[in-house]
Amino acid sequence: MKRRDFLKNTAAASTLLTLGGLSLQSFTEDYSTKITILHTNDTHSHIEPFEASHSKYANKGGVARRATIVEQLRKENPNTLLLDAGDIFQGTPFFNFFGGELEFKLMSMLKYDASTLGNHDFDNGIGGLYKQLPHAKFPFVISNYDFTNTVMDTHTNLYKIFIKNGIKIGVFGLGIELKGLVDPKNYKETKYLDPIGVAQDMSRILKEEQKCDLVICLSHLGYSYDVNKDKVCDLHIAEQTKDIDLIIGGHTHTFLPKPTVVKNSAGKDVLVNQVGCYGINLGKIDFYFDTDKNKVSTSTVINV
Amino acid sequence: MKKYILLLFSLLVLVACEEKKQSLYKIEGSQIPVDDKIVSNEDVEKLVAPYKDSLETQINQVLTFTKKDLNRYDGKLESSLGNLLADLAYEQGNPVFHKMTGKNIDFSVFNYGGIRASIPSGPVKYRNAFELMPFENKLVVVEITGKKMHELVDYLHKAQRAHPISKHFRIAIKNENPHKVMVNGNKFDENRNYYVLTSDYLQNGGDNMMFFKDPVNMYELDYLLRGAIIDYFLKQDTLRVTLDGRFQTVD
Repeated sequence: MKRRDFLKNTAAASTLLTLGGLSLQSFTEDYSTKITILHTNDTHSHIEPFEASHSKYANKGGVARRATIVEQLRKENPNTLLLDAGDIFQGTPFFNFFGGELEFKLMSMLKYDASTLGNHDFDNGIGGLYKQLPHAKFPFVISNYDFTNTVMDTHTNLYKIFIKNGIKIGVFGLGIELKGLVDPKNYKETKYLDPIGVAQDMSRILKEEQKCDLVICLSHLGYSYDVNKDKVCDLHIAEQTKDIDLIIGGHTHTFLPKPTVVKNSAGKDVLVNQVGCYGINLGKIDFYFDTDKNKVSTSTVINV
Repeated sequence: MKKYILLLFSLLVLVACEEKKQSLYKIEGSQIPVDDKIVSNEDVEKLVAPYKDSLETQINQVLTFTKKDLNRYDGKLESSLGNLLADLAYEQGNPVFHKMTGKNIDFSVFNYGGIRASIPSGPVKYRNAFELMPFENKLVVVEITGKKMHELVDYLHKAQRAHPISKHFRIAIKNENPHKVMVNGNKFDENRNYYVLTSDYLQNGGDNMMFFKDPVNMYELDYLLRGAIIDYFLKQDTLRVTLDGRFQTVD
């Protein structure tokens, strides 16, 4: 009897808590929400802008500038998430000398909401990654690495759910196969699980069980591979799953002129995006939500 | 009782809300270039400053030593720095490739233009490694056919430049034609495939090395060329480099 009381109390309390996120305006006629997803990938310790003499990326990039843009966009739309698709480490002496401490501190300062892991994040070994965790005030989401028997066990999340103005956003993460890419002594007993199976499970859990309005996959699998066409990549994940709305990719340092739209296994559109590397660009995807009443058509319009 | 009223109220609110459930109707994608038109955030700069100061000190840490100047122009078709680069890339890259495939790389090829700075005699610092290879180029091994090997030799011979090749590969030019091409002490055999170590940049057609495009197989070592340079320098007390005539013109 007491247990039932407790359950009822909890149910009531959590209902109120959930509703707490909704303001009064949620009951007016023209209720709508814009969710902004900002993203980076493969920043590779590029903290300062490239020098003016650089042949390819002169004067581009720089975390201090990224911070300005992010701050401005968050001011314009508080319903914003800032995400990263991995390979935060390796690429400038900042990593070689400080082991990633500054990279994590800066991402925390920019208030990153989540990141997945790239292969280069293991460059100082799994212990080197673990050592820097106290500097990261944001969660790592990785769904297909089993860290049992490693120091990283319990320090990452299978997925993370964010609620912005009543919109539920589920974020999960996919890492690339470390075998052959990273020295086994660096990833130790980390087990790599099939990303397609994991993506199918995660998207089902987030969409059906957790009732997320948006499902985002942070992937470090790579956009696609020309030579090894069968190698699992973001385009394969998009095609062979359902219920993912956006895949934010990395690893292949792909500069896409615009997000790629792919049909998933249920015939619905999935966006796949990647913004090159080194913090040269910031990706921005806006999802517009409205009450059914105001909806013009039943299909979602994609302007990319 | 109070609890139940609360619960009932909550449910009513929930139902009311569900009628107005929001649905996705539009997605817009864009990309914001991070460039010098954007003002830097001062808090970020303040956090970075002490690390940058410390870095300046540390980047001058000594890795190894060289008795003579190393550059890319002290030979005709080979150079001290080119030979060093191609050989060290092989030495660092082959164990990675071997672990991956059980096979050995035949030789390495890079480009003259990829050597971005000389290393003056004296202590060799981290800074030198970063100046020599400022790019994030990664090592890749391509399996190419004997036919593509012909194209490779033809390219090197026509370029008349000291493109770095490792000591396992020897080319002699006679009367303006490739005269003797040796791989690991054996005459080049056009009926077999070769495993060539190079950078992802060159594999992708950089410097017009088109013979690396569409290889039979490609293996990404996921090892930065600069990483290989630093790892090798750390292993050596003193760099020993010679011009050994691996690529030369003979009479």
